[in-house]
Amino acid sequence: MQGLFYVSAAVAVLATALVVTRRNAAHALLYLVLSLAAVAGMFYALGAPLAAALEVIVYAGAIMVLFVFAVMVLALGREGERQESQWLRPRMWLGPAALAAVLLGELIYVLASGAAAVAGGTPVVVGPQEVGAALFGPYALGAELSSMLLLAGMVAAYHLARRKQMDEKEGER
Amino acid sequence: MSPAGTIVLILGTLIGVLSAAALLIWVERRGLALLQDRLGPNRVGPLGLVQPLADMVKIMLKEDWIPPQADRAVFVLAPMLVLGGTLATFAVVAAGPGLAIADLNVGLLAFLALSSLGVYGVALAGWSSNNKYSLLGSLRAASQMVSYEVFMGLALGGVVLMAGSFNLTEIVEAQRWVWFCVPQAAGLAIFLVAALAETRRLPFDLPEAENELVAGYHSEYSGMKFAMFFVGEYVGITLIAALVTTFYLGGWLGPWLPPVAWFVAKTAVVVCGFIVLRAALPRPRFDQVTALGWRVCLPLAIVNLLVTGGVLLALE
Amino acid sequence: MNGRTDIIQEVEARLGSAAVAARETPRDGVATFWTPAGRVGEVLGYLKNAATGPYAMLYDLTAIDERVREHRADGVSDFTVVYQLYSFERNEYVRVKVAVGGEQPEIPTVTGLWPAANWYERELWDMFGIRVAGHPNLRRILMPPWWTGHPLRKDHPARATELPEFHLSAEAEAAQAAALEVRPEEWGLDSGGPGREVQILNLGPHHPGTHGLLRMVLQLEGEEIVASAADIGYHHRGAEKMGERQSWHSYIPYTDRIDYLGGVLNEFPYVLAVEKLAGIAVPPRAMVIRVMMAELSRIASHLVWYGTFAADLGAMSPVFYMFTDREKLLEIVEAVTGGRMHPGWFRIGGVAADLPRGWDGLVRDFLDYLPARLAEYETLVMKSMIVKRRTCGVGQLMAAEAVAWGMTGPNLRACGLEWDFRRKQPYGGYENFEFEVPTATGGDCYARAEVRVAEIRQSLRIVEQCLKNMPAGEYMSDHPLATPPRKARTRQDIETLITHFLGVSWGPVIPPGEAFVASEGAKGNNGYYLVSDGNTMSYRTRIRTPSFAHLQAVPALCRGQTVADLIAILGSLDYVLADVDR
Repeated sequence: MQGLFYVSAAVAVLATALVVTRRNAAHALLYLVLSLAAVAGMFYALGAPLAAALEVIVYAGAIMVLFVFAVMVLALGREGERQESQWLRPRMWLGPAALAAVLLGELIYVLASGAAAVAGGTPVVVGPQEVGAALFGPYALGAELSSMLLLAGMVAAYHLARRKQMDEKEGER
Repeated sequence: MSPAGTIVLILGTLIGVLSAAALLIWVERRGLALLQDRLGPNRVGPLGLVQPLADMVKIMLKEDWIPPQADRAVFVLAPMLVLGGTLATFAVVAAGPGLAIADLNVGLLAFLALSSLGVYGVALAGWSSNNKYSLLGSLRAASQMVSYEVFMGLALGGVVLMAGSFNLTEIVEAQRWVWFCVPQAAGLAIFLVAALAETRRLPFDLPEAENELVAGYHSEYSGMKFAMFFVGEYVGITLIAALVTTFYLGGWLGPWLPPVAWFVAKTAVVVCGFIVLRAALPRPRFDQVTALGWRVCLPLAIVNLLVTGGVLLALE
Repeated sequence: MNGRTDIIQEVEARLGSAAVAARETPRDGVATFWTPAGRVGEVLGYLKNAATGPYAMLYDLTAIDERVREHRADGVSDFTVVYQLYSFERNEYVRVKVAVGGEQPEIPTVTGLWPAANWYERELWDMFGIRVAGHPNLRRILMPPWWTGHPLRKDHPARATELPEFHLSAEAEAAQAAALEVRPEEWGLDSGGPGREVQILNLGPHHPGTHGLLRMVLQLEGEEIVASAADIGYHHRGAEKMGERQSWHSYIPYTDRIDYLGGVLNEFPYVLAVEKLAGIAVPPRAMVIRVMMAELSRIASHLVWYGTFAADLGAMSPVFYMFTDREKLLEIVEAVTGGRMHPGWFRIGGVAADLPRGWDGLVRDFLDYLPARLAEYETLVMKSMIVKRRTCGVGQLMAAEAVAWGMTGPNLRACGLEWDFRRKQPYGGYENFEFEVPTATGGDCYARAEVRVAEIRQSLRIVEQCLKNMPAGEYMSDHPLATPPRKARTRQDIETLITHFLGVSWGPVIPPGEAFVASEGAKGNNGYYLVSDGNTMSYRTRIRTPSFAHLQAVPALCRGQTVADLIAILGSLDYVLADVDR
């Protein structure tokens, strides 16, 4: 399982780096999907099969498909690639990269200092029932809040789509 | 299971599935012919049984052509995703007790996850072909498959509630008393519709829709790459039939015969049902397919889930 | 014909005597008059809108190159443009002729009166080089844009052997390929602009849903068709030009290939028009044989439509069943005529041979066989929920619009107008048969399907009546112009032998004149307008086909619908590209 974790992690890092450096939007998205799948592999290796499956179903299988959908419809082509290559000049990415490096440093520091607390215990497999019990037990408030957020998003999306339809109807008159 | 045993099982499943797909090509061509007052392929070997092999040889010898306007890398990747994704899903399918390559405790979710990745193959094939018909086909495919996945998952929710597990072996074992096709009849209906939509077969073959989109997302494909889509379709049918058997028809359960025989027999019956359906039905329009999903399947699936949960609670 | 006022007198009275330059009495009895080119719009507008029993339909619009014609009416014009209108209230045609001439013949457009005039006027320009002033889109229609010359002019060669040796240079090839590129603005479509992209989809000429060489250019928004244009001419074989170099007799097989699914239904109006010119009366047995074969051809055509229509909607199996049935039908056709799709069986003055022994058994078997199959198809196709959802309300057309587009046949009857030329203007003996004229009210794809399915049953009824009441007697007229002439009496006297020899070798010499016969074909009203100059060949053969008019309406029918609907609409219209392009 350790091996699986490190392989997945390596794939995830590599794929994410490729996401940032690709000029073609569709290719970048594909690497992002790969990166998400690799993260799912990491989850699985860490003993969270449910999280792994949901990662793939929700992120890789649904959200990213919508991204691909948008890229397909937009038909970016050569124009987009030229724009992308402009953004890939050092002037554009040096600043964010420096900031990200600071974050990385912090992360490593936290991991190093807290490593003692985590290490030692072998990973426990967290099954669907445990996740469910946790979600609707101690974290019920969080689950409810996020469901309200989603509901609001859904209502807003419906409203926006509906208004566009109404506009079109009025335009016809 | 020992590593050697696992390897044998993987090879066995792979060979079994691929030869089942090859046989299925023959079964469908002869079966459709039977239903349509004609003969079908009957010249190569006894009853034309060797026809798929001959086709395979022919298709392997074909020129490997990539259209100049295509996005080469993605164009090559797409058919592999389709075939590979479907084949990988067989890892969680158990043809008999202990006969699953990966008896995951989230097996059902793994199936949903892999089938949700199946969209990429189709969507990217159409996009990378750089052909308007292909693009329209893959747009249809993407929206159809993404939305029907939702209904598929919700329909399976009833099965999970009744079995109390995502594990496919446990789901089959939970049907010892009664097959889930009885208490979950509504779920089965939704699952069948969604499964047809996922395999993109008539009446849900809108992404291909020969009369409208020529061949949709795989218009530009030929040779081995086309063969991957083609075989992928039949592997997909086999997979869906195997899953219908697992989730609703009691899997390998049955008297007298060995479990694997029961499993294969049930799967074969479901596959034949798919073939008859293809011969019988016309193709609805795209917006009608979407409407069927969101206006009929979704509410039905939710009600089914609620009722199942309620009844189970009351029985406890 | 039915006691109404003479339309020519009416035009003279209302628009002044100058509006009628001359009148003519052709052999077919259609009211015909000449009008000056400057007053075309006014006269046709009067006929369409204000005349008693208005002529609502532009039935046909064509021209005649008069420059080498000997027997001619006026003697001044180089070209005669012929408008033929049809009045439903009068059940009559009127033919308006306009003389044009000079280096650049020109005539004003009537697209403002009838949308259907658009393609007919483009054909006028393409085939005769007559410029149509004020036409919205005057480009070639049947010939490719790079063609030089106007094929139906008498100075344009009819055979490749009359042309210099053919070479396709690299530049010409590139230019011809470039001409195929879609330029949306040329089609009257939105070509987009800065910051605004327009999705144009080129559908055809090779596409499984178009039933042949048809090209549609669609302007899409998502899958919705915002606007579209049809491009035809890919199946043009110069059938009208061929009519000018084939003998009257040897042209019969060519007619089979116009609506190639309709078999003898094409020969019917052609031989009737020649017989009208020659004044030949056909014996009763030949008449009934003709009707029977024509109705069998109609069933064959409708069966092909039934299967392909279902296939267009994505149903895989029906087409196999219907082709099986058609196979059985073609066995009858083969037994009687020796041919199948293209029997070439009708003759000037009768049919090629008498019915073979045992024909009645074959027909009887088929009459017993088909109704049960039709009942099955009813459940398989017409009652299918998916079919209904795909076709009801799709491609809808009101009766008035259908008339304005020149629609006839089942497509017109699907709009609720009960109008069948076999009933309204009986020809070839149809007045002796009992049958109903099925109609539907929806005007949509489903209604068009309903009408055709019902027509198959009615055609079976007619065939049954033919079977029961087949008269005895001759299958060929004894008229000297009937071709091929009867051999028997040539042994009696030298005069008959000479006539026979000439009739067989050169073909008959048909007396000069003009005759037009319209018939109810499988696809709609199929009319042949023949001009004879007293020769062994026709001077001008005009074929008015239903598919041409029907296809022209497609962009109007599919606006605001989806690509899938377009395929359903094309399927429901039942056209044949050879019938469109001729």
